[in-house]
Amino acid sequence: MYRSEPSLTFFSAVVKNVASASLEVKKLVYIYLVHHAEAEPDLALLSINAIQKSLTDSNPQVRVMALRTMSGIRVPVISQIVSLAIKRGCGDMSPHVRKAAALAIPKCYRLDPNTLPQLTGYLSTLLGDSQYFVVGPAVAAFLDLCPDELDLIHKPYRSLVKKLADMDEWGQLATLRLLTFYARKCFPRRTQKVKPSAPVAFYDDEKNEQESQDTGEEYEVQVTDPDLELLLRACKPLLQSRNSAVIVSVVRCYLYLASPDYIAEAVGPLVALMRTPQDMQHIALFNIVAVAMRIPKPFAKYTAHFLVHANDPPHIWRLKLEVLTILFPHCGKHWKGVIISELEHFSKGTDPELVRESVRAIGRCAQGDTSTADMCLRILLGQISSLDGNLVSESLTVIRHLIQQDPTSHKSTVLQLVKNLGTTTHPDARATIIWLIGEFAGVEPENNIAPDVLRILIKGFADETEIVKQQIVLLGAKVYLHHLLQNPPKEKPEAPAPTETAEKPTKEYPNEWADNADEGQENADQSTKENEGELEQPEAKEEETEDRITLLWRYILLLARYDTSYDLRDRARLYKNLLETPSSVQLANLLLLAPKPVPHAPSPSETRKDLLIGSATLVVGPEAGYLGLPGYSNLPDWVVPGQEPNPSLRIDETKPDISSTTTTSTAGDRLDRALLNGYAESQSQQRLDRCRSRWKEDTGPVASGRRGRGGH
Amino acid sequence: MSAIEAVYIFDEHNNLLLSHTYTGRPSPPSVLLPLYLQHAAPRSSVLYFPSLNPSTVLYSIIQDNLLFFSPSSGTDSGEPLLVLEFLHRVADALEEFLGSPLLASKIAGNYDVVAQILAEIADAGVVCQGEANALRDVVETGPGVLNNLLGKVGLPGNASVPGLSGGGGSLGIGGSGGLQRPGSGISSLQPAQTAQGSAIPWRRSNVRHTSNELYVDIVETLSVTLAPSGRPLAAFAYGSIAFTSKVSGVPDLLLSLSTGGKGAGMGHRGDQLRSVMERTVFHPCVRLARWKSEGVLSFVPPDGRFALCGYEVDLLGADTPLTAGKNAYSSLGLPAGVEVTTGLGSSGNDFEVRLTQPSNSGAAGSAAAASLQSNLGGGGGLGSRPSSFRAGAAGSGDSKGPSLENLVVRVPLPTTVRNVTELRPSKGEAHWSPVDGCVEWKVAAKDFGPMGAVLRCTIQGPLAADGDDAGAVLNGLTATTYDYNDDEPSAYQAGEKDEKHSNGLSVPVSREAKVAKSRELMPTSATLSFGVKGWLASGLKVESLLLDNKKSRGLGQEVKPYKGVKYLTVSREGIEVRC
Repeated sequence: MYRSEPSLTFFSAVVKNVASASLEVKKLVYIYLVHHAEAEPDLALLSINAIQKSLTDSNPQVRVMALRTMSGIRVPVISQIVSLAIKRGCGDMSPHVRKAAALAIPKCYRLDPNTLPQLTGYLSTLLGDSQYFVVGPAVAAFLDLCPDELDLIHKPYRSLVKKLADMDEWGQLATLRLLTFYARKCFPRRTQKVKPSAPVAFYDDEKNEQESQDTGEEYEVQVTDPDLELLLRACKPLLQSRNSAVIVSVVRCYLYLASPDYIAEAVGPLVALMRTPQDMQHIALFNIVAVAMRIPKPFAKYTAHFLVHANDPPHIWRLKLEVLTILFPHCGKHWKGVIISELEHFSKGTDPELVRESVRAIGRCAQGDTSTADMCLRILLGQISSLDGNLVSESLTVIRHLIQQDPTSHKSTVLQLVKNLGTTTHPDARATIIWLIGEFAGVEPENNIAPDVLRILIKGFADETEIVKQQIVLLGAKVYLHHLLQNPPKEKPEAPAPTETAEKPTKEYPNEWADNADEGQENADQSTKENEGELEQPEAKEEETEDRITLLWRYILLLARYDTSYDLRDRARLYKNLLETPSSVQLANLLLLAPKPVPHAPSPSETRKDLLIGSATLVVGPEAGYLGLPGYSNLPDWVVPGQEPNPSLRIDETKPDISSTTTTSTAGDRLDRALLNGYAESQSQQRLDRCRSRWKEDTGPVASGRRGRGGH
Repeated sequence: MSAIEAVYIFDEHNNLLLSHTYTGRPSPPSVLLPLYLQHAAPRSSVLYFPSLNPSTVLYSIIQDNLLFFSPSSGTDSGEPLLVLEFLHRVADALEEFLGSPLLASKIAGNYDVVAQILAEIADAGVVCQGEANALRDVVETGPGVLNNLLGKVGLPGNASVPGLSGGGGSLGIGGSGGLQRPGSGISSLQPAQTAQGSAIPWRRSNVRHTSNELYVDIVETLSVTLAPSGRPLAAFAYGSIAFTSKVSGVPDLLLSLSTGGKGAGMGHRGDQLRSVMERTVFHPCVRLARWKSEGVLSFVPPDGRFALCGYEVDLLGADTPLTAGKNAYSSLGLPAGVEVTTGLGSSGNDFEVRLTQPSNSGAAGSAAAASLQSNLGGGGGLGSRPSSFRAGAAGSGDSKGPSLENLVVRVPLPTTVRNVTELRPSKGEAHWSPVDGCVEWKVAAKDFGPMGAVLRCTIQGPLAADGDDAGAVLNGLTATTYDYNDDEPSAYQAGEKDEKHSNGLSVPVSREAKVAKSRELMPTSATLSFGVKGWLASGLKVESLLLDNKKSRGLGQEVKPYKGVKYLTVSREGIEVRC
């Protein structure tokens, strides 16, 4: 069966043993039965009778198994029988049976959704159970069955909160999930500025709150709904759980429900998840990133935990780098230095991915804390002379971002970059530098390097890669445009008379375009010579300088026109037409010299910021689609004040400390009732007696169970 | 709500070993495995396959070379960590029943036990019993279980049964199987007789042992990052207290630890301890209130071996000393240090790894061991652990003095390195493995004297495209310097001053181009692994382990359990030096 080999043929032979007296045989048969019942519903039904008998066995463990098996058999016909069995189980003496009943509820619902009303009834009984390990599965069943029926939760709310610390980890997870949702829906949130400097959010429903007596001094104390406070305080011991999922759940609870003081306490345990095995560490890091993006401050002192190790796999170091950059603005001076030098170290590494990410991380650091931007820039500038083309181009992209954020103070930086243009061979890097020069072409028109750079670049135009050529053409367009813009007073009066600048394009270009390719080439050669000849005499007159720029521009157009790339040819034609007529110069101005938006390199996980902490969607990320994975739901918004359910609903009528005697008597009553209602007609009086006698036996373990916990 | 839909286990060759479906109709393992294998090698533990119908999130862990899968289809199961924790618990439970390490053959030979474990640990996908020890109450491990069933079905149990036992008699069903069932020998009681289940959720009921024993193992794993200058950037010791309890009845234990002088002046003892042991996590059995108020661990343990507590220690202390300088190893008290010098040789493609031994580290360790003896002696019968308990323990260094072992240095090299032409270790063995692209250097502990050791490597880059310098192939003419640090003092245990080798290697000049070229081939870090028995980096000590006879039940007044304590510090590539 476990090897996916056919074992169905033995079905009848195996199932015959269902009535076997031996417990161990029964166990295996039950497992087999649950596995195969769906394929052989008729034969499986034959076993139901025997299982039903076991439901009334004197051994609670047998009853547990029978209940579990019966609900596990996926044959819809028996849904009513299962429902009755659950009802019996809910009233059972042994908490283990009650637990099994709780676990059976979702299975029964899956079998036949029509049983929902009955099952909800059972659930409300089980949610109020006094045994902590019954409540956990009951909450899980509730979440499965009817997570929106919060009315059922009002009454057991306080007992749930009280039992939170004692439940097993899985129960804690379910309960935390439920109560986080519940709190959002039932405790309205009101923000009020208590002091002008510190706006404090506090939760308050003063009209209905009977317990909250301290509303009188609310201008000083942050008043959380006492019931919510109860939950938050009950979560605290869970932070020392060994189960990472519990810790993340508590963090979620604090993050979405509580004031920042609470979350600060939870950060340490969250960071401690970095000790867990790598698979869980990965998930924990996702959550850490998500929390740190909201509130980075408390994480700052744990920076050392996020240093990247040489043997971290890519998915781990990627997240670690991200955490480091998020924390960077909040660290002390010492740690800032450490982070930067760490990033510098990794940017010199050999893994191209790691290099790229760490250079980007440096950029994000500089962006996050402008006071260190200079330091970052210096490091990046140091790297552009590296032999590693990948590193150079990545560094330049980041440098470009940094320069764009503060263009005025970076003129000298651009100059330095231009010096590197001669040695840089990486096309991306060259393109970036050329683009930057174009951006700075309009600054200080009298003393600008852009035309000169353009002149030098054009010489090697044919040997450049396409991306660089595009940038050269763009640079030419910008230079020419600036040239046009600076000289309008000259041009305008001259415009009617066909002279120089306005005239030349109209006159010469048609010629050029009309010429065949050979002539064009000749022209090009000619103008190259002219061009170089002119440029070799830097002491040219003022008018000639202007002339030169026009010539330069035309030469570029010519070069681009005969390029092999249609994209480049298109671009050249676009710029040409744009700049040809004086009327469209304004348009060109808008197009080419529009102020560029300051680039903002977001953290890679920026898109995940609003996803629910601890969810699988957070881990899968954008891949999961716009709405997240199926079934993903974010927390509901805070309930509008005034619409919350009356808090008096949460008042617990049951006595806080039920002694074992009262438990047994009430449970006994329940058993009687269950028997009378459901089974009276079918069960004999003799069996009822047997049940009673069994209940007496059961008293022992319940009591001892209490004692065992009591020492705790 | 989150539901576990199925558990699939694959062996090391990715053959399906087991599939257990809890609920729903999850994608079968035959579909998931190829999709999983499509992803590149370091795979994320959570993978999303939108192409499947229904789209599936696959959770996976790898333990003991076995691959555990749990698919979750259709819904956002809420907590990925829950599923991963669950898979880890399944692995733990299997280990508890089948013995460690988990082997494919053990699982294949014990399907009856495995089936019960999986059925009990979660019910229709809702995890309901995560405690491996408590599972002992409900899982039958008697030798004849399956035989019994097979007999009833009318099939011969020991003969080969093609369908049901899935592979014939070779699996060793029943008594003929060579596998011992752990637990059945220790406990005189068949577990399932305890009809009501255990009163303490993590401890099985009616524990009986003929010899009562308690063992505390404190294991600390180092994670240290050193800057090229030798200054520690971060130094943590991740500790865990593994407790082994083999005591009858329901014992109530009190474990007190002491900090060994650290954190003094932090108020009373509990505060000191808490300032050293940070971010603790506990097994649910620990009473948190007593830890908070007194700083002691008071608990009723599960039976057998379990992880009592996890903690971490910041070895640098709260305020990082900015001027720690190069005596980092001594300030951390590490038993060995490593340094890497790159860009040596005539064309700069040599590098040198130097293992050093700061001398004062042993002192603290032996002191800890000594005081341990005196402290626990009063508590009742401390002795060295029976060597059969753990095979490795037979060596030296249990309580007499810490001993260093398994010293390994790994130097990962860039992928562009084509070959390492020369490996010249002064001690130990070194080899280069092209597959994972790193040089591994093992030094036997007995060889690793106070002198330290040096490894010199020459690396060869890719066949140069420009061809002129012949791919920077190095002839063997590089001046190799075997620098033994003669100024390093004395033995490991002897506590004296820390050494610092000052002999800077004379770096040849006028080879900038080659050096710059080979700089890209140089390693950027090196990691050091070792294990030290009898010493803890944090200096923690077990002060006493008391068994509260009043609160405990089922244990005679006169019974004094045998107690043992073991300290171990390991670094699994945990010490990393940047260069």
